[in-house]
Amino acid sequence: MTTELVRPQPDHSGPDAGDVLTLDDLAVHFGGIKAVDGITLGLARGRISGILGPNGSGKSTLLGAITRLTPLTRGTLRFEGRDYSRVRPEAVARLGIGRTFQTVRLLEDLTVRENVQLGHDLIAGARPWWRRPGKADRETADAAVATALERTGLAGKEALRPGQLSYGLQRRVEIARAIVMSPKLLLLDEPTAGMNRFEREEIGELMADLRAEGLTQLIVEHDVQMMVDVCDHLFAMNSGRLIASGTPSDVVRDPAVREAYLGRQDNDDRDS
Amino acid sequence: MSDFYFSNIVLIQSTFTVLLLALSIQIQFRMGVFSFAGAAFYGMGSYGVAILVLHYDFGAFSALATIVVICAMVGYLLSLVVQRLNGLYLAMATVAFVMIVTVVAHNGGTLTGGSVGLFGVLTPVEISVPHLLAVCAVVVAAMIVSERGAMGRRIEAVREDPELASAMGINVARYRKMSFVLSGVLGALGGGLNILMMTAIAPENIGFPLIVLALTIIIVGGSRSWIGVLIGALIFTWLPVVLEQVGTYQSIVYGVIVAIAAIFMPGGITGIVTDLYRRRSARSNADAFESEQRLEARAAEEDAAEAAELQAELASSTTPSGGSR
Amino acid sequence: MSQLVIDALVLGSIYLLFCLGMSISWGTIDILNFAHGGIFMFSAFVASQIVSHVELGLITICVISAVVGAVVSAAIDVLAFQPILRRAKNQRTAELQILIGGIGIGTIPVAIVQFYTLSEPFGFLRSTYETTVHSFGGMRLSSTGLVVLGCALVLTVSIAYWLKNTSHGLALRAIGVDSETAELMGVKRRQLSLLTMGISGGLAGLAGALLTFNLGAITAESGETLLIKAFAIIILGGVGSTGGAALGAMILAFSEVLVLRYTGGGWVDAVGFGLILVVLLLRPQGIFGKKEVRRV
Repeated sequence: MTTELVRPQPDHSGPDAGDVLTLDDLAVHFGGIKAVDGITLGLARGRISGILGPNGSGKSTLLGAITRLTPLTRGTLRFEGRDYSRVRPEAVARLGIGRTFQTVRLLEDLTVRENVQLGHDLIAGARPWWRRPGKADRETADAAVATALERTGLAGKEALRPGQLSYGLQRRVEIARAIVMSPKLLLLDEPTAGMNRFEREEIGELMADLRAEGLTQLIVEHDVQMMVDVCDHLFAMNSGRLIASGTPSDVVRDPAVREAYLGRQDNDDRDS
Repeated sequence: MSDFYFSNIVLIQSTFTVLLLALSIQIQFRMGVFSFAGAAFYGMGSYGVAILVLHYDFGAFSALATIVVICAMVGYLLSLVVQRLNGLYLAMATVAFVMIVTVVAHNGGTLTGGSVGLFGVLTPVEISVPHLLAVCAVVVAAMIVSERGAMGRRIEAVREDPELASAMGINVARYRKMSFVLSGVLGALGGGLNILMMTAIAPENIGFPLIVLALTIIIVGGSRSWIGVLIGALIFTWLPVVLEQVGTYQSIVYGVIVAIAAIFMPGGITGIVTDLYRRRSARSNADAFESEQRLEARAAEEDAAEAAELQAELASSTTPSGGSR
Repeated sequence: MSQLVIDALVLGSIYLLFCLGMSISWGTIDILNFAHGGIFMFSAFVASQIVSHVELGLITICVISAVVGAVVSAAIDVLAFQPILRRAKNQRTAELQILIGGIGIGTIPVAIVQFYTLSEPFGFLRSTYETTVHSFGGMRLSSTGLVVLGCALVLTVSIAYWLKNTSHGLALRAIGVDSETAELMGVKRRQLSLLTMGISGGLAGLAGALLTFNLGAITAESGETLLIKAFAIIILGGVGSTGGAALGAMILAFSEVLVLRYTGGGWVDAVGFGLILVVLLLRPQGIFGKKEVRRV
């Protein structure tokens, strides 16, 4: 089997100085299992990057490592050039990294609005705790929440509770909660699972809009087509290692990637 | 009115000291910390104030303030000791802590009065119901603040999904520690005020029965809000009066009420009320929801058609979608 | 000194008999039954009520107590624990609700007995059994103590064997490890759950009768402290381990007997409580712990 590593690309193949997020020889081992086995990459500013990989390739663990929910065995994490490999999980959000989860994690007893407000609370809390929020504070918060809800197509559903929403809508609440934080980096963990084509396109459009505003995004998805459509840059993982990095069309045709997905070499090159 | 007040003054006092006891435990439950330490702090509050007043000539306020501070610190230390325990094991560790406090009270010799306890705890300033009500008002105000707005949302997150809370920038460990400190403050207040009014305390008044009492209040009243705890406290202080005819059967009735509540109403009375309220407002949202559903059904049909198209497309180009899921 | 050993062995055997029931239900079907203490005491009470009208022997009384315990425990399972499990949102809340429900339900038998006895001790005053004391080598062992030791030994070994080697026991352990898969494979959880709770209650009843014989009398509140000590024993030995429960019971009994001998009687109970804290903080899985201490 070919150990096809990173192909030289006109795009970048390794971390750059201006990257928003840099991983340097990152490894996460659980006992004998090497879930992430030495990954080095950088997320370019203002781009949408994607991580492709079959089940068990380590993508979720990688996300866990990036958000500090999973401890590192080795390597460094850098955000905006600053090393954050040792911070506590709750500090990650404060850095400006927002995320959604693979399984929807909304608070069932709160309304959609309140769930999204939870995300805004983080950036709103720059006051001393004894000062109650003033009118101006409340208006800013309301505006931010309303904007986030509108962008994710949830206007009018503020008063509903997660239990009353379809799965696709619940996912959108998660996204709204993440973007209301005005993050500098947005991590999306399989955001369109459970959505139909219609909704998937909307999410893709939302991501394009966010990119236009300068937001850097990292998406982990199973829907290869969506990744190809939406991402500026793709990384492919298998068995904890990076096996390809480049433009989506290149990565998707990479023999190592096809072997990881299909388990065989595809000699027929039917594409242009 | 004042007749009622004076003939029932003990019950009125009980209602509010028991409220503080139950709040000291409920506040931890609300943050997902399954701890009964509040009962221990109540015991420490009672005995602590009694000791300071009887043996060291403290006044009421200074004794209370000192004990509250001490219990807050003990609460913090306890939080460090049990920081890696959760759920059932945390609960049992705190139960053990409560029992140890009881044993110390039993065996404290002249300091704690042994199995007879301490009595004659009288202070120059007599503490009575108005003081108690003032303290409770402040406490309830704090509870109200903690249940609304950003604080309320964060506590909800810390309880229901600590990992999510972390991802939202909330320092879950700090909330846990705070819950122990607050439990210490509330328990000490309840116990301290209790003895200042009852003037006597014995080992059988603290310990496991307090845990059972607080639990019954929280189960029946509801664990999410201070309102539930107040309802519970009122019920279980005044039920014996109502049940006077039933008389000695009352503890059996208690047990049955608790058992039924635990099985059928895990949210307590406030849980049921909130459910009903929500179901009514949900019905008014139902229309909006229905049209949404119709829209989604249509989209799903489109989706099925496009999926077939997509299959064909992908089969002739790059990799098919979806790995080995 | 060796008298201490005898006393500790008997005390430990009583603890063990009380614990076995809790250990089984907790280790297999994940039910930590806080009504166990109430069942223990209530069974002995019913037996004592019957004995106050009819003269009966040791064995009969023990059987009656065991049967009452089994029936009450099974009833609680059907009426309370199973409904709670059905309604619970997830494993974590189920566990806590069963704990709380057990505490609540446990107050009922205590209240009933308090009502009838006015918190005075009760015993088997008219039983035909008369305890005799055997002396050997300067040590004394009563016939009751002998019965207790014998029962504990026989029952512990049988139950350990049953859990390991019979198909029922295996099924129970399968439920303990993964109840969904077990059910898919044909293990009837509800029936086995009922059986387990019944056996657990029977053991509690037996322990109740034997303790009453050993002490002469017990009170309505006797089950409470025992309950917490049982928890200490089970986590010391390791949840799910019968041998662990036996070892834990002996360790606690010996410690208590020593503390009683060298300090005042008041500190004896603190041993169990302190043990809980020590075990949970230093080695939560206990000595032979098989189940991992879930960080819920």
